[in-house]
Amino acid sequence: MHKKVLTEQALYFGDVKMPKGFEINHDKLKADILQANIENNDFKFSKNWDKLNTFIREHINLRYQINLVNKSTWGNFLKPFTNTEPLLEVDPVDLRNSPDFVLLYGVQVKNCFIRIYYEDNRRKGRSWDIELKNNMFIMFPSTNTYIIRNKKNEDLNFIQTITYEYI
Amino acid sequence: MAHFAKINENNEVLHVLTVNNKDVLNSNQQEEESVGQTYLETHNNWPAHLWIQTSYNTINNTHINGGTPFRGNYAATGYTWDSTNQIFWSPQPYSSWVKHISTASWKSPIGDAPDLTDAQTAENTAGTHKWVYVWNETAYQADNTNGWELTNTLA
Repeated sequence: MHKKVLTEQALYFGDVKMPKGFEINHDKLKADILQANIENNDFKFSKNWDKLNTFIREHINLRYQINLVNKSTWGNFLKPFTNTEPLLEVDPVDLRNSPDFVLLYGVQVKNCFIRIYYEDNRRKGRSWDIELKNNMFIMFPSTNTYIIRNKKNEDLNFIQTITYEYI
Repeated sequence: MAHFAKINENNEVLHVLTVNNKDVLNSNQQEEESVGQTYLETHNNWPAHLWIQTSYNTINNTHINGGTPFRGNYAATGYTWDSTNQIFWSPQPYSSWVKHISTASWKSPIGDAPDLTDAQTAENTAGTHKWVYVWNETAYQADNTNGWELTNTLA
């Protein structure tokens, strides 16, 4: 008897463990997110963003032999007691130019939960919740719809999103 | 060109970068690893002590052009830096294999594979067969005197 896995929906998560003295400056990244949102501009390249992006790409390649290539990035802030609309980063009518993965990074978050929806064959509408903490990332397939929830928090939650394709 | 391996705090190689020779020269115009490390720290957001110079021409502790080998093997992503022995180790191929320091390579616990017989070598030369010894870790775990299995890869 044999088994062949044709596809998998893998989620990757953990902390961004930078060397001492080279940690990501969350205050600066938060300021960059605010600036881009207030000015309604694209998120600008920065040293702190590069630290995050490089760490993720190199460690995902090291652990899972997946070569990630950047597609786009933006920052969000979420008001207390709010949920985002269901989000989907793949464009169903433009799969060729869609990303493969979505990465969410907790820049400054508290009581922030990510709900990821998935299908398990005929079992539709299933979901999995994970709390996003400061300096933590979660990466999942772009074909999964997700919601970001800010629960019982008096502060804004700041999240950096990066989308990737793999080669 | 000089090559430097970027390692993490678990000594795992993340990436290997090429650096221009002029960026590893000290004030006396001598190549110095710490100069390259400082250059890489400045330009790559990663601490100097986690950049380790590696030699493109070294494999299994031998220099391919007959020079002096440097740090065992040319580093690659997934290799491990061993600061005690000053060697970049490739990933362990099988759980039973052990480090052989002098050749900077992994060896089976029962030694190298046996030599092919003259008849097997002749068949390989003729192209009718391709005899090779392949390591079978399951067989070794069941009986630690076994492990090498003769296989015809053309079959």
